[in-house]
Amino acid sequence: MTAQQALLAFSGIDVTYGGEHGTAPVTALKAVDLEVREGEFVSLIGPSGCGKSTLLRVAADLIKPSAGTALIDGVSPADARLNREIGFVFQDAALLEWRRILANVALPLELQGVPKEKRLARARELLALVGIGEFENAWPRQLSGGMRQRAAIARAMSTRPRVMMMDEPFGALDQITRDRLNLELSRIVEKERMTVVFVTHSIHEAVFLSDRVVVMSPRPGRIREVIDVDLPRPRELTVRDTPRFTELCRLGERLLEEGFHGE
Amino acid sequence: MANRPASSLGAALASALPAVVTTIVLVVVWEILVTVTETPAYIIPAPSRIWEALFTGNSSLSYHTMLTGFESLAGFVIGSALGAMLGIVFAYSRFVARSLMPYVIASNTIPVVAVAPIIMLWFGAGIGSKVAVTAFLSFFPLALNMMKGLQSYDRTVMEVFHVAAATPLQRFFKMRVPSAMPYIFVGLKLNVTFSVIGAIVAEFVQADRGLGFVIMTAYRTLNMPRLWAAMLASALLGILLFVLVAAAERLVIPWHSSMREVK
Repeated sequence: MTAQQALLAFSGIDVTYGGEHGTAPVTALKAVDLEVREGEFVSLIGPSGCGKSTLLRVAADLIKPSAGTALIDGVSPADARLNREIGFVFQDAALLEWRRILANVALPLELQGVPKEKRLARARELLALVGIGEFENAWPRQLSGGMRQRAAIARAMSTRPRVMMMDEPFGALDQITRDRLNLELSRIVEKERMTVVFVTHSIHEAVFLSDRVVVMSPRPGRIREVIDVDLPRPRELTVRDTPRFTELCRLGERLLEEGFHGE
Repeated sequence: MANRPASSLGAALASALPAVVTTIVLVVVWEILVTVTETPAYIIPAPSRIWEALFTGNSSLSYHTMLTGFESLAGFVIGSALGAMLGIVFAYSRFVARSLMPYVIASNTIPVVAVAPIIMLWFGAGIGSKVAVTAFLSFFPLALNMMKGLQSYDRTVMEVFHVAAATPLQRFFKMRVPSAMPYIFVGLKLNVTFSVIGAIVAEFVQADRGLGFVIMTAYRTLNMPRLWAAMLASALLGILLFVLVAAAERLVIPWHSSMREVK
């Protein structure tokens, strides 16, 4: 398992919120160690308050940990971010309403100073990859939730980041759209050999997409167990009908349940 | 969905139709009532008398309208520019906003007729003082809306810019200003309406030309058709300037939901 060097490594991460103005501090994460190898798809799953989003945000330099270090290919999240090595997809697509889809996808490259022709070519390529090539001239508000999220994924991929963080990207979508996007995401990830850390509430989604599922438990947020998903790739939606898939989901559900009660 | 100027012009004409019909009916009824009841012109002049007065008199009304229009426009531009700058400072500095806000609000609640004579003394009898009064009046709405607009950005979009390593200037020009645009246009539309009032009030206080001067002299000589004609000219001037700003809004923020055509 550890034959390969970790691309993303958390060690001893603590995150504590609040504590000012007499309020009791909340420990969001306590002593979290986790390594993610290059090309690996790792999901973080757990009930609300287990700190899974917090961990993701630490890796993307959106939160500074109270203790411990996070390293991306040997450098701090802040440096990795400045080197454009981090892609982040939020639950909300957060598209710029005043830009057409193409210019939205090209935004990170524009901020980086990539020449217009080059960045638009890259954005077109990505829009085709995520399957909304024909909507490059649409305004964001004209797109459905699923299509907006596809655009957000394309935007996060534009700078070819070393690590892709996804914070419940399909959490607000209906089940049918969600299944479809899960399938397409897994194809894109395989094709582009992306390294992904994926936060979700759904054990089915986590097992379907991941190489490893990290089950977390709350108060304080910590890693409870890591499930290795040995389902063969490429995966079709029918993999969900196999006994092994069901078994892995049951295991995950049981661990989540125990994390809730066995404190 | 977009790019169809011909049909949107048609739609604009169609949407103006009810107002046009109402105006025609109103003018006809007015003319008949005034004629039948033999109402004297100093109470309410007939539309035909006002129409006549538009093109007669000691000096051409179009000259006065153009002059007042120039004062309004110049004051609007200067006032809006100053208001925008103050709004930006307020949005970025809570301390400055808290220190100066009471004065800004006070300056807006002081009746302009009280301030105008002071400004006239400072800026002299020429056109400059009229522009100054107009600028004073068309300053406050944009300052407030600019501040509110710059603070109203989407927090997740801000995080997208953070992860993409945007510079503070990029955040300002590519995120905060575009998301403030709908607010900015609310401020500009208020400013442009106030600017005509400002110019006319300034001319009331002291002037030898302009629509305010015409209204004042017409009142002194009880030349009511001319007064009504000047009133009509000032209304048309205000509408024209407002329509110009609204047209600019359509060009600048076609993405905004308020621009969706009402069917």
